[in-house]
Amino acid sequence: MKSSVYRYIALFIVAILFQASIVRYLEIFSWKPDLVLIILIMFSIQSGPSLGSTAGFFAGLLTDLISGHFLGLGALSKTIAGFISGIWAKYFPEKTQFIITLAIGGFLHNIIYFFLLTIGIEFSWRSLVFVYTVPNLFYTTLVGLFINFLIRSWLKED
Amino acid sequence: MKLNPFLVLVRKPLFLLVVYIILSIVLLRMNPEKSLQGLRYGALQVVEVFAKIRFQIAVWKDYQKEVEILKRENFKLQTTLQKTRDIFLENERLKLLLNFKEENQLELIPSKIIGVGTELGVRSFVLDIGEEDGAQKNMPVLTADGLVGKIVLTTPKQSICQILKDHNSLVSARLQNSREIGVVSWDGEPWLNLLYISKDVPVNIGEDVVTSGLSKIYPPFLRIGQVSEINENEYDLFKEIRIKPAVNFNSLEEVIVIHLIENDLTNQVDLEE
Repeated sequence: MKSSVYRYIALFIVAILFQASIVRYLEIFSWKPDLVLIILIMFSIQSGPSLGSTAGFFAGLLTDLISGHFLGLGALSKTIAGFISGIWAKYFPEKTQFIITLAIGGFLHNIIYFFLLTIGIEFSWRSLVFVYTVPNLFYTTLVGLFINFLIRSWLKED
Repeated sequence: MKLNPFLVLVRKPLFLLVVYIILSIVLLRMNPEKSLQGLRYGALQVVEVFAKIRFQIAVWKDYQKEVEILKRENFKLQTTLQKTRDIFLENERLKLLLNFKEENQLELIPSKIIGVGTELGVRSFVLDIGEEDGAQKNMPVLTADGLVGKIVLTTPKQSICQILKDHNSLVSARLQNSREIGVVSWDGEPWLNLLYISKDVPVNIGEDVVTSGLSKIYPPFLRIGQVSEINENEYDLFKEIRIKPAVNFNSLEEVIVIHLIENDLTNQVDLEE
């Protein structure tokens, strides 16, 4: 367990740095995958809501610091995503656990994130969901499946 | 054992969630504060280092690609340069031949060497001119540097040139300073020999040896080579003179064939036939 936490810390650092630098090259229209969210969901599934929300808060905070967005925006949305994923993951079958948790946690994350981001701007809920939340989530899920496939066995080595 | 109530609370997921949410909201409200800008600046510095490394890697990869392209380009340019050099040298040689023609007022037939003759007992070159081009047997062959040999066989399209470095080749020659006449031959060595020069004739190293003009085949004053070594033996009547050929037979590419106009000089000594 201990070594897997270290691996997750390393993954979070790499994901945050990549998110701030390389991910912009993967941008399609204005949609891009959230690598930190992917790692957070994987971590929350394995570690539960306490560590999930803690990791979400700090990872979100670092992302906010680096991204230049409102400080606390990512921290808040990722805290909730980590918490919810940690709680709900155990209710899903193992085979589909990651994808469903990522979909739910990611949806919640994106809704909170984009809602807070667009406060004070005239913005319809429909745009919020269908222009920002869902396409970003879809992209993140696709990339998440790929990353999960790549590093799942590495994370389970102990 | 009594547990610390704070630790118990901290392990409660809901409690942690609330704490983090409150902290996040506080941070959101503190966004315009200058103290946070410094924190953000510090974080961005870390990312900048990472971005710089990534940028350097990208630049390095670009350099590698560029090096590959330049290598290929360099190879192409080297090939082109080599071709250009060849053309330049050919041009220079042809210019010399042209000058030679103008200076000597002879009827000349330019030709290229297309091979080495395979006839037994004759060291020769194959020329790309034949009877159709005006080539005839016994026509002298030379370059701007000097005499090469003579045509010994012709076909309609090609001809064979016997060179001076052939065991059967004999050319009537003259020492340029003393005007003494001898015969140039070859005995298989890198040099040519000038025969029948009397011991009492003064000969200098570096002296030019030219055709004598006493032959039906070679006109006078065609350069054969330079005296490179002189030996004398008390039992011999003649000097042993070695000549460095004017022509480098190993690097010949173009030659010219002289079309001589027959004259009525009956006293010519035809040593070559």
